[in-house]
This record gives sequence, structure tokens and C-alpha cells, in this order.
Amino acid sequence: MAEFVRLDSSTSRHTMDKSITLPPDEIFRNLENAKRFAIDIGGSLTKLAYYSTVQHKVAKVRSFDKATKEAASDKLYEISVQEEVTARLHFIKFENAYIETCLDFIKDHLVNTETKVIKATGGGAHKFKELIERKLGLKVDKEDEMTCLIKGCNFVLRNIPHEAFVYAKHADSEFRFQTTQPDIFPYLLVNIGSGVSIVKVESEDKFERIGGSSIGGGTFWGLGALLTKTKRFDELLQLASKGQHTSVDMLVKDIYGGSYGSLGLTGDLIASSFGKSATADKEFSKEDMAKSLLHMISNDIGQLACLYAKLHNLSRVYFGGFFIRGHPVTMHTITYSINFFTKGEVQALFLRHEGYLGAIGAFLKGAEEDNPNQYSWGENYAGSSGLMSVSPDMNPMQRARSGTFPFDMLEMDRLERQLVNLPLLQDPSSYIPDTMDLTEDALAREYWLYCFEEALDGVVKRAVASQPDMPEAAERAEKFRQKYRHKLQTLRHQPFAYGSLTVRSLLDTREHCLNEFNFPDPYSKIKQNENDIALKYYQKAVKSLEELSWEERQFALVRGVLAGNVFDWGAKAVSDVLESDPEFGFEQAKRQLEERPWLVDSYDQWLERLRGPPHKCALFFVDNSGVDIILGVIPFVRELLSRGTEVVLASNSGPALNDVTNGELQILTERIAAMDPVIQAGLREDRLTLVQSGSSSPCLDLSRLDKVLAQVVRERQTDLVIIEGMGRAIHTNYYAMLSCESLKMAVIKNSWLADRLGGKLFSVVFKYEVPAGKPSQGSAAVTPS
Amino acid sequence: IFFSTSRHTMDKSITLPPDEIFRNLENAKRFAIDIGGSLTKLAYYSTVQHKVAKVRSFDKATKVNIPEAASDKLYEISVQEEVTARLHFIKFENAYIETCLDFIKDHLVNTETKVIKATGGGAHKFKELIERKLGLKVDKEDEMTCLIKGCNFVLRNIPHEAFVYAKHADSEFRFQTTQPDIFPYLLVNIGSGVSIVKVESEDKFERIGGSSIGGGTFWGLGALLTKTKRFDELLQLASKGQHTSVDMLVKDIYGGSYGSLGLTGDLIASSFGKSATADKEFSKEDMAKSLLHMISNDIGQLACLYAKLHNLSRVYFGGFFIRGHPVTMHTITYSINFFTKGEVQALFLRHEGYLGAIGAFLKGAEEDNPNQYSWGENYAGSSGLMSVSPDMNPMQRARSGTFDMLEMDRLERQLVNLPLLQDPSSYIPDTMDLTEDALAREYWLYCFEEALDGVVKRAVASQPDMPEAAERAEKFRQKYRHKLQTLRHQPL
Repeated sequence: MAEFVRLDSSTSRHTMDKSITLPPDEIFRNLENAKRFAIDIGGSLTKLAYYSTVQHKVAKVRSFDKATKEAASDKLYEISVQEEVTARLHFIKFENAYIETCLDFIKDHLVNTETKVIKATGGGAHKFKELIERKLGLKVDKEDEMTCLIKGCNFVLRNIPHEAFVYAKHADSEFRFQTTQPDIFPYLLVNIGSGVSIVKVESEDKFERIGGSSIGGGTFWGLGALLTKTKRFDELLQLASKGQHTSVDMLVKDIYGGSYGSLGLTGDLIASSFGKSATADKEFSKEDMAKSLLHMISNDIGQLACLYAKLHNLSRVYFGGFFIRGHPVTMHTITYSINFFTKGEVQALFLRHEGYLGAIGAFLKGAEEDNPNQYSWGENYAGSSGLMSVSPDMNPMQRARSGTFPFDMLEMDRLERQLVNLPLLQDPSSYIPDTMDLTEDALAREYWLYCFEEALDGVVKRAVASQPDMPEAAERAEKFRQKYRHKLQTLRHQPFAYGSLTVRSLLDTREHCLNEFNFPDPYSKIKQNENDIALKYYQKAVKSLEELSWEERQFALVRGVLAGNVFDWGAKAVSDVLESDPEFGFEQAKRQLEERPWLVDSYDQWLERLRGPPHKCALFFVDNSGVDIILGVIPFVRELLSRGTEVVLASNSGPALNDVTNGELQILTERIAAMDPVIQAGLREDRLTLVQSGSSSPCLDLSRLDKVLAQVVRERQTDLVIIEGMGRAIHTNYYAMLSCESLKMAVIKNSWLADRLGGKLFSVVFKYEVPAGKPSQGSAAVTPS
Repeated sequence: IFFSTSRHTMDKSITLPPDEIFRNLENAKRFAIDIGGSLTKLAYYSTVQHKVAKVRSFDKATKVNIPEAASDKLYEISVQEEVTARLHFIKFENAYIETCLDFIKDHLVNTETKVIKATGGGAHKFKELIERKLGLKVDKEDEMTCLIKGCNFVLRNIPHEAFVYAKHADSEFRFQTTQPDIFPYLLVNIGSGVSIVKVESEDKFERIGGSSIGGGTFWGLGALLTKTKRFDELLQLASKGQHTSVDMLVKDIYGGSYGSLGLTGDLIASSFGKSATADKEFSKEDMAKSLLHMISNDIGQLACLYAKLHNLSRVYFGGFFIRGHPVTMHTITYSINFFTKGEVQALFLRHEGYLGAIGAFLKGAEEDNPNQYSWGENYAGSSGLMSVSPDMNPMQRARSGTFDMLEMDRLERQLVNLPLLQDPSSYIPDTMDLTEDALAREYWLYCFEEALDGVVKRAVASQPDMPEAAERAEKFRQKYRHKLQTLRHQPL
């Protein structure tokens, strides 16, 4: 009838070594500044959460003071590396057996905290209360288990993209990650601990336990132990995965010789769990009994979940609890059961960080005065273990042997700015930023992992070169190399470790790892140099454009953007050319471009549109520094401004490769304004606005953009979105549907990708789209609000 | 759905008492058989010749001619032979099937019947035997259709068919008045597995759900856990056990209730939760009890959810897991009360075991339109509830040979409600319910027994011309006294 959340088991590891030495570089990071603790002690695992501040280096650009300009004559702006303090949430999961070791470690490393209490939840909290208070000198403050669980669940669903996934055993990729929904409520959470709790969550603070069952993980474990004499949960699951339930269960065909057609029951359906053991006078194998038990319990829970979901009209059902956690076997049987009972109408959803929910919730309870929900948080790929890194199913042997200290980590950075959807997305709930899901496409995965590994040497070289004054840079760069290579290797074996594997996630992981080792902006000098050079050509470029006829100019502007986009240090083919031939110029780039008709070519429609009334406001997501932004994008923007269209330039908040950052772009536009009255007027009249995207990625996720950007887009009644570059317009957003006109421009600088898309190296994508139902000559008056 | 068991000691050479079972076999017209996992239910339709007393007004014309003959009488009385229709249902263990078939063959006189309707999971197993022994063609009918047909029939025709079970009440069984409209209802049939069927009208039903956790699971897991192979014995073990030593309760985890979620401390948090980690031996009784709770609660919960989803308030439970077992009726009732907070009552049926046989029979008799008649239970020819229940008196049962009967008379006229009843659904004809009032029951049973001598005397006196009247009256005395004695022990 009831259920539960925790299990009173102490599955002690058979061989445990409490005198183990913890590797402080790796776990309990940033403990010195830890501020606030929370702990969730389950039946076998402890989850510790703390909030800490991280000091790391950031590259800042600063315009030279005009007065001191003579000092650094040929540089546009100066680059300085500053220390910045950001907030980070740390979550560590380890077996209860290590709790004392861990507490000791924390005590030794905890320097100057003002913290007096530690929030605690989970069934084991009272058992270790005394130990925690004695070791840490903190007062243990107990929080309601279910409240913490739900709080944690809301937090991960809201803040971690690809948190939820569907499990499909026999599909090409086992895990299918779901896009983050803007509205996460209402949902059903089925927590399968010893028993089962079925909770309906309606809002941040409103949840209700609408049902439960006493047939849960404890029943599988308890009955399994009685039937098979196997006392360990993991072993029972392993037995089950090897068994045949049909030797123990009575099937429909065992009774009727086949299906029971008139009732719609197929012959293979289980008519009676353990029905054969009632009368057959024989011994049943442990494996078969365990399998039958697993089916019985999973089916029952699945059926109950479906019935409650139907009764309460809920379509999102998440499963969690130790019965599920990291066990493909149970994820599979629960998924099967849900599919069976709802005929596919409801999908069983699982969570990547399900094991942390209680700890996250307890932490949030304690941090309520800091309003953590008003910030946006991002998973730090450098500091987080992947999905199932301590899963007993994945590789028990390896785990047992490596023996050191099986732990699992999650780190989340507090983002400086709150992130929201682009208001112009046609359907935010179905928007998927990434064009290709590498978890599902084995060939593509193979290629990109190889590609990133190949590029690693170059990245390391660049990183070292970016800090010539620092002798230990080489050592740090080497650490970066090891960490990123390890991540790539992990991803090769577990492509689903951080949600859907995409080119974007590979790029982002690299950025996180670089930051981790204090290489905040390896391209800062190159960008600076490029910007300096490009700026020198600006006036000449504008002048030659102005000499063209209107129609010639429109085409030249587009070619300019495309040619500028060839200058991209992010793409290997280009960085090879650039490094070997620094003279590679803008004109050469133009010659490299594919002739029309392009691979994707709606230029004629675009030109036709330009003959019509001007757009009210264009939002332009820019890409690279140097030639790209200065000789390609700005002249294009200039033309828009001249037509009477307001322009919002969106650039990265933080550095990524050679992408121009908001800080850099501000200086650049000032400089350009000084020599170009059109740009100057635009800035002065507030018709040209610079905003930051909120991202530090070479790609673009339109569902996680700076709140200010969204606000500006709304206020300006934006009716045109321009996305430039391979990372933003091809790796991501190639299929993004917007509710206004959009223009995606990119040059394909990767031969494999060109091949995939049916083109060749330097093929051009020029994709102008008008949403269905809107006239392509749409007047500026018809704008979404 | 079905199961097969075999009694350990069976005596196939038993001699059947023809006076008592297979009555009126000479005129049997139509047969149906439902062979379950352990019990066979045989149904047949027969005509019964019996005497009726008729009164007739003296003809005025003839009155003049014979004034001396009956001068001072208002009307004359005559005893006539009348033929009425009766349905016979007999239930016996599968072990006796051959004996019974032989008996039927020997006593079946002049039937024109060519087929026997058969249903139940065991029907195909005994098909050949039946055809050989009786020379009738076995005609299989869909099990679920028969079950529902039978259920509709008893709900419609037998007053007080359905009852609520309350273990600790003054009377364990509270019978429900027959509702004028029996539809819609939910039938939860707990055989080896569970079928949950929504019945909307005489011909419309749908299996809306089911579960593989049923009677077979209790039996199968119970056998593995306790090494006890017999279903009845498992139930007996369960009735003696303590589930709390095996189950993990809410208070085992939280030290008390989990107030904020509304969970009391005694609630089962995890069935068998303690056996996961405790390194000790558990008693057979405790494990059987925990298993029984686990399965009953689960079925009860599913039944409630389906009832809510389909907006049904009448839920009947049947199948071998329930049939005549107070232990399971109690746990199912408890579960339903828990999950619906009393909004839905678990209902059981007195003749639940006959549903399939009745349904199969009705399928075969469809041309006779049995539904257009009203039928009445013949108390003289029917065994009572639980007469073969293993729980009541297993020793006695083993000796008696275990037959159970139901006879229903076709009434000459169709019976309906008085249209002037204020609320037909709540109308109860009887003023006093003796099942619930022990003192009154005591008195009235005594009273009827006291009066029996007088009734016998009056019966003999009513037939002065018949020398064997005294002998028949004596048989009547014995039968009625036996019924009264049975009722004293089983007031239901």
C-alpha cells in the first residue's frame, strides 16, 4: 500500500579500504571556499552538495585610453587576464562505506567557512547525524525527503538541457534525450525505492503523493533474496538479466495453446507470474526466478504509473529511485511495461542526475535566501562525471579492480545571466538546437570524435602560445590535453554520458576543460591581431561597395559575409591554411567560395524581399573576429541600417575559439563608428544595439539566451533573424523554425560535413526562410508581439 | 485464469447417491460443463413433475345435479401433476469427473440432446473423455463470455446473490438487495492471473485490464517460499502468520508515520522489504501472510483504479483465489476500503463458482430465451454458501465427497418490481435480518424447529388417501431439520 524512498540496506562493499587516500585534485574541488553544505544519505550511497566560489582567470579587453594611445600605437585594444570569482555547485556521490573518510577529508580542507549547519535528507540521515556533527562541527538540519526530491527534480529539469531521456534497448542508441521544455509542469514522478511513491508535481511548490505501492525495489530485493539466496541487489539484477521468465511464468499460450483472440491477449503475454511454480514439481533456476520477479514488479509498477497518469491526465512520467538508477535492465523492463499499458501514448522518462535529486533539493532548501531559482545554471562538463560512471552494470570488474574510490560528480556553474528562449522560436517545445545527434549516428560520431582528437594537438599548442609569459602554461596545457582526451575516450564508449552527444557538446566540453586549466581565451591575441588588420581595410571595403549598383551591392554584401566567414580558426581546414599562409586574404577567400547556384541557395528570394519594404528590426548572431565581423558583417549591417532597419548584434558573452565576444565587439564598433557616419548615427540613435548572447560556445542554443537579449528582441519588434557561421547555422539551428523571417549563412569548411550535406569544401549555405502563412513581402507592421 | 490441481487422495470408485445429486436426470434436456483447474461444474435443464394443489369453483350447472355430494363446500380441491422447468447445477472436484460421467450415462434416459456446451480452461483436456462417455459432441464456448453471461443471470435472478464481507462484524456477510438495473459493473476475476472486465449490458463487455499477479502468483511464489504445494494449505499458513516480520512498514523507516505525506506508521512501505537485508530465517506463516497481503492489495488497488477510470461503483470479485475463502475475501475487502476510502465496496457472489457453467448453459439454451423468464432459487435442492469451502471444515469435507448444488425453478410468470415502490433500489422486503441479529436468529430457528412436528402432522393429515404420506412427511422432516441445523451453524 505504501512505498518508499529509501532502503534500509547497508550494502556494504565486500572489500572496502577506509584508509584510502582521496585525490583532492579530482573530488571535493574548491572546498576551501565551500559555503553551504547539504547531504543526502540513502540506503547505500551518500550524496554531498556544496556551494563554492571558484576563482578563475578571464580575459578582458579594454580600449586604450586615447591619451595613452601613443604607448601602444598599432593595437586597437589591450588584453588583460583578470581573476574572476564565480559561483559553482558541487555534487559528489560515493558509497556510504566511505562516509567517514570523506568527512575527515572535508574537515581537513575546509578553510574559512562561516557555515554552521548542514542540511540533511534521506533515510540514512539520522543514522549518521552524530558522526557528521562530530566530524564537521556543523549542526545537522533535517529536511523532508519528498520535498527535497521534488525540488531537486524541478531544478535539473529546468537547468540541465538533455536531463531527461527515453531508454530504448535495441535502438541504435540506447538513450534518447529529450529537449528541455519551457514549461516542465505538470509531471508525474514515480520514485521506486524500497516501495513506490507516485507523486504529481503541479508547480514549483505544489506536489501531491497521489499513490504508491508496497511492491517496489525492496520487494525485488527481499523476495529475490529469499528465492535465490543472493543477498546483493546488483547481483540479483545480474541474475535476472540472464534468466528466462517463461520457465516460471504461465503464459497465455500455456493455458490456451495460443493467443486468446477474443480478449486481445497474445500468446506470449504473462497470464500468471510464477504460475508454473505452483504445480510443476521441479527446481527452478535462480536466474529464471529473478527474471520472473523483475518482470512481475516492473510490469506492476508500470501499470500503476499508467493508471495514475491517466486518472490525472498527465503525459510526462519520470522514473527514479534506486531500483532504476543506472540500471539498464530495470529501465528496459519499466519502459516495456509503460509502452505495453499505454500503447505508446506515454513514454517512460528517466533522468541523468536522478541520484542527485535529494541532495540538490536539500541544498536548495538551505540556499533559499540566495534565490537560486532566479539564476540560470549550466552543467560544467569538465567537472562532471558522465551518466552511469559508477553504474554497477557498466563495468563491474573494472570498477572493482580500480577500487580506489568509486565516486561520481556533478558540477554546475551559476551563469552570470538568466537564460531564456528566443521569443521568435516557432515552437519552443519542439526546438532542438543540434542538427545531428551523434548518439544516434554512429558514423558521424566516429568522425567527429576522431576530428576533435586530431585537433587536440593544435589546441594545446595554441593554448601554450597564448600565455608566453607563463612558464607553467605548458604543464597546464598538458593536463588539459589529458582531461579532454579522457573525456573523448569516455564519450567513445558512452556517447550518452552528457546527454545527446553533438558537435556542440564536444566544443563546449573543450571550452569547459580549457577554462578548468586557466586558459580562458587562447585566441585572444590572434583575435586582437586579426581585428587590427581587418580594421585597416574597412573604409576601403565600404567605399568599393558604395560604388556598386544597388543590385550588385546586395550580392557583394552577401559574398562579403560568406568570404569573411571562411576566416575561421575553429575549422581545421582553415586553420591549416591560415597558419601556413598568413597572407591568405579576403579576396582569396572570395575566390574560394562556391559559385552560384550554391548548395542551398535562396538568394533570389532574398533579393526579391529586399526590393520590398525594409524590415523593422534584424537580430544578427555574429561569428568570428577579424575579417568576418569587420569586413563581412558590419558592411551588411550598414546596408540594413541605411534601409531603415534597426539592427541588434548578438555576440558571445564569453570567449570561444576566435568568435568575437561582446566586449571585443563593443570596442570594434566604437572604432568603426569613428570612421563611418552611418554606424555612428546608428549607435547614437540607438538603431544599432549590441547585446550579449549569454553563451560562451561556438554554437548557438536559441533556448538558452540572455534575458536582456530576449527583452530587446521583443521591444524592437524584431522581424528578421540572421544567423552566421557553421557552428551556429549548420551544426546548430539548421532546422530551427522561427516565427519571423530568417537568414542562415555559412560556408562549409569541413569536407566530411560537406559530403554529408551533398556539397564540397567551401560550399555555401544561404537559407532564407519565411514562416508559413506570412507573405514574403511582409510589411513591417505585421510583426509578432 | 485457470489451474490444475490434483487431490492427493481420491477415490474414483465412490458410489453416488442418486437421490441427492444429478436429480431429475431422466428428463435432462440440455447440458453444459465448465471445467476449471480443480473443479467441474455441470449444468442441465430438466423438467420436473410434481403435484400441485388446485382449487376449482363448483360449476353452478352441476351443483344442482349433485347437491348432496358437496353441498356445503365453496370450491373443490384437487391434486394435479404439473411439469415445470428446473435448472440443475452440480459442482464437484475434477477427480470425480469420470465417475460422474458414468453415472450420467447410466441415468440419462430419453434425451434428444446431441451436444454439450463446454467452457473453462480444462475443457479441452477432458473433451475426448466427455465425448466418449456421454456420446455428446463437445461444443466449446468462450470462457469470458460464459462467465459474464452467468454473472448477469445470477445478479438478475437470485435475490441476495451479492454480499459484502466484513470479518469482524457481527455477521461476516452482508447481503445486498437485488438492484433493478444491474449494469454497469466491474468483474474482477482472480484466477491464476487477474482479468478486469467492464460489463455494460447483457451482451456488451470489455476486458479493460488485467494483471499477471493473481492466484497463481500466490500459489507459485508461496510454493517456492514455503515448500507447501497445496493452495488451501498456503491460505491456512497465511491466516496464521504475521506480515510485519517480513514487510517493511513506514514506521520501520521513519520511526513513526510520515505525516507530511499522510502515511501512517503501520502502512506497508515495502512488501518483503525486511527480507532484503535481514540475515535470518522467516517463518512459512509470515511469508505466506506477507505474500497474501501483497497480492490482495495489488489487485485491490488495480481494481479501484480501473473502477475510478471507468466511473464504476459496483465491483464484484470472483475466481478461485476468492471462491469461498474468507481469508482472501477479507484482504481484498480491506484493500478496496483502503484505496477508495470506503467509496467502493468489494462485492462477492454466492454462486460465483457456477458462473461459467450457467453462462455456457445459457449460450446453449439461447433459443429458449431463458432471459425472458424469471427464475427462483430452489432452497430444497441447493447447497448453501461455502458448503465445500476448504476453510469451514476440511475434515468433514474430505469425508462427505464434496458435492455442491444449485437448483433454479423457472417461474411461470415474469416477476418485476411494484411500480409504486418509492425507491426500488433500497427496498428490502424483510423487516428483520436474522443473519445480523443473533438473538432473533436463535429464537426463530428454535421456533421453526418446535413447530416442525405440527407441520409434519398437518402434512400427513392433508393426504388421508395416500398411505405413503407418512413416509414422505418423515423425509420432509429430516430434510428441513437438516437445513435448520445447517443454518444454525452457517446462517448464510
